[in-house]
Amino acid sequence: MRRLLILALLFGGMSLILPLGVSGQGGQALLTFGFLILAAYTVGELATAVRLPKIVGYLVAGLVFGPSVLGTVTYEASVRLDAVSQLAIALIAFLAGAELQWSEVKERGTTLLKIMSTELLFGFVALTLFLYALHGFIPPLQGAGTATAIAFALLFASVAIVHSPAVTMALLNETGAQGPVARTTLGVVLLADVAVVLLFSAVLAIAQSFAPATDAAATRSVGAVVWEITGAILIGGAIGVGVAAYLRFVGRELMLFAVLVAFFGIEIARLTHVELLLMLLVAGFVTESLSEHGQQLRHAMERSAAPVFVVFFALSGAKIEVGTIAPLLPLVVPIAAVRAGAIWVGVRVGSRWAGTDGPERRYVWMGLVSQAGVAIGLATILADAYGEMGNYMRALLLSLIAVNETVGPVLFRHALDASGEVASRPAPAHGEVVAGH
Amino acid sequence: MSSTLILILVVVGAYLAAHVAFGWLARRFDVISGAEYVLLGILLGPEVSGLISSSVVGSFAPILTLALGWIGAVVGAQFYLPVVSRIPLIDFRVAFIEATLTLALVSAAMTGVFMWLFGLSAAQAVFPSVAMGAVATVSAPSGIALTVRRLGRRVSVARQLEVATAIDALAAITAFGLLLAIGHAAPETAVRAPTPTEWAVIGIAIGIVGGALFHLFLGGEQEVDRLFIGLSGAIILASGAAAYLRLSPLFPAMLIGFILINTSANRDAIKEVLGRVERPLYFVLLIFAGAAWQWGGMIWTVPVVLFLVARVLAKIAGGGIAAALTQSTSRLGLGWGRALFGQGALAIAIGLNYQIVGDLPFAGVVFTASIVSVLLTDFTSARWAHSVLGPWLRRRGRTARPEAGAEQAEPEREGPGRASAVQTGPGREGPTRTGAAPREGEA
Repeated sequence: MRRLLILALLFGGMSLILPLGVSGQGGQALLTFGFLILAAYTVGELATAVRLPKIVGYLVAGLVFGPSVLGTVTYEASVRLDAVSQLAIALIAFLAGAELQWSEVKERGTTLLKIMSTELLFGFVALTLFLYALHGFIPPLQGAGTATAIAFALLFASVAIVHSPAVTMALLNETGAQGPVARTTLGVVLLADVAVVLLFSAVLAIAQSFAPATDAAATRSVGAVVWEITGAILIGGAIGVGVAAYLRFVGRELMLFAVLVAFFGIEIARLTHVELLLMLLVAGFVTESLSEHGQQLRHAMERSAAPVFVVFFALSGAKIEVGTIAPLLPLVVPIAAVRAGAIWVGVRVGSRWAGTDGPERRYVWMGLVSQAGVAIGLATILADAYGEMGNYMRALLLSLIAVNETVGPVLFRHALDASGEVASRPAPAHGEVVAGH
Repeated sequence: MSSTLILILVVVGAYLAAHVAFGWLARRFDVISGAEYVLLGILLGPEVSGLISSSVVGSFAPILTLALGWIGAVVGAQFYLPVVSRIPLIDFRVAFIEATLTLALVSAAMTGVFMWLFGLSAAQAVFPSVAMGAVATVSAPSGIALTVRRLGRRVSVARQLEVATAIDALAAITAFGLLLAIGHAAPETAVRAPTPTEWAVIGIAIGIVGGALFHLFLGGEQEVDRLFIGLSGAIILASGAAAYLRLSPLFPAMLIGFILINTSANRDAIKEVLGRVERPLYFVLLIFAGAAWQWGGMIWTVPVVLFLVARVLAKIAGGGIAAALTQSTSRLGLGWGRALFGQGALAIAIGLNYQIVGDLPFAGVVFTASIVSVLLTDFTSARWAHSVLGPWLRRRGRTARPEAGAEQAEPEREGPGRASAVQTGPGREGPTRTGAAPREGEA
């Protein structure tokens, strides 16, 4: 009742205020930001009351209050808050990197690689075949040649197999899970993020050989892809060294510094054309490895990130276009089912190959269903490169992402519950900041 | 290289340089740390080096608005009523009279200056004049806190000064908030434009609803990080709503701070969270305030100089009259207002708020006056405070040596709510740590 009252007050207040102001000012972005923090967090709490992850609540809040439904959060305001989403991604990447430990990488690296490669392979092959089989039902492909249909299927599959580091990190923080399912899922998601960038670029290059892009400038050369990865590792390492030096010799104003590191990373990645997520992941890993004070920065980052993460997921929900997605659901639901099935098979095969017979084999696949920001970025590249077909592919991918973004956290939460890792230790105080109770 | 990247690098580098250099100066010469960041902003801004362009400053408007709101909340959180009620009423009477007189005298003087200099009617001149009056009313508590710490003991005057700085902040924010409500231009999108009274009520309502929302949101939760989300959400929402409506974020956020500190069981945690975020926002505010400043030509010199003169006279006269009217001259003397010369972040916040609302008359003059006043007084505020407090201690023949380690202590840092007698919570100076102002000589 209290939470419903909060939502009613927020909605009523916004309805009264919005007609009195002037849109397009910075104040509107701040107003929307504050509204989303409180509204999304409250809906997140309602979600936990029905045993759903909080981030599902954040997404639902964004969807309900966004332009598609109630319109409290306007499209313009959500665009103005894009910087918040970028900041969230940067913070998530750094925190994810800081979570990794060198000893764990050495110990479990091979296992992670085997699981990751098989689940990606199974997912990619299954989705390619399924999309090709479906091409008669896809409007831009009706009447198109086999080559175009294959190109479409390959490109679609290379994006559809992407996972979501953001959702994974958010769920792990919410639950405080640290067991084998949690660690393996995080490791696979992070490794897959790098692998998918390479795979996508390779597929894009191959597809162009028999289905030329309408805008070749939107595609990327092999050299650019190599730089995107190696540059990210090099620059991320350098940033990590710099951050560790700051912590050692200055060590002040960590909250401000944490936000500056994130913005610095965003800007560097943009200017040097390297993969942001990988770069800051490496930066976080190097910082944590080199500095005794890395934990302090991590805590400062988690604290400053708390409202940012809530708004990030709420904005993701606000960007779900109900009107676009609804007609595509008859196509998207089977695709999502095939994808989830392929991940399930892939993880089981990969676990067997790696000789892992623990709960990872049964539960890790549930943590790999979620999708979010990375996939959206790749879908946008396709839309730019392939005109009408690319736009349709983007719409289809966004619909798929919307489904997986909603179902994925529920599955992952269930996996962590079922494997008994949620109760393995209480969530740390700082962990609460993302989605704590 | 992009301007954002340059900005980040320059701000980090300059922050470190300023921090080290002024840390030393502060310890050596009783200089209050804070104004250097304004100077730094001016040097980086379009007026000098151009490293931070006007468009970059504009893109940071939401963060500056948030900083304004946060400062307002910090000011409001000083007024914890159980502590306030333990402070002698006479201190508040003196402080209210001093604040009101300063506001009135400077507003009146500046109205005359604007009418004379720019040929305005009284109705036209009163708007920027009251804004400057609000800026003039603000007094920085950090110089007083530093002096009290250095002298190592407390006298009644010290408590009076701490109360006065808190009341000055309250009066300045209230006056400024009401000014923006009264002078509000009718929005084109509204069905019916609210009246000035309605705008004032809207400003108050934003603060009250923000406070109520926080309580509803938090429920009985004690966890600090959840409190952080609730508190930041309430302040961001209120600041954004006020800025969106072209009202001052300082005023509703001050109400939120006041409501929360007086109605929440998590008082200490709220203070901690407010303090934790205040510092980063404070640096950003000062640097970008400096960068946002632009010189409008020699014509501005006259009103700015006259403002400085008017403020000095008003503080002395206001303090003296307040002491005389309350029969407190034997306790305070007539010149105790000198200790209130120092100005800090709140003065700049008001000036900046006036500037970023847009379309307000003589925004540049008001903002420049606040910047110049802070630059001139921040470096000397501790000395002015010493000039008032020192003789009282010597007169009693009990001037203590500086406390052990005081010379090496971390320099006092400027801030809107530092070291007020009426505040409570962690991280504050002297009496504020326990909440109650000790009696004279207790220290």
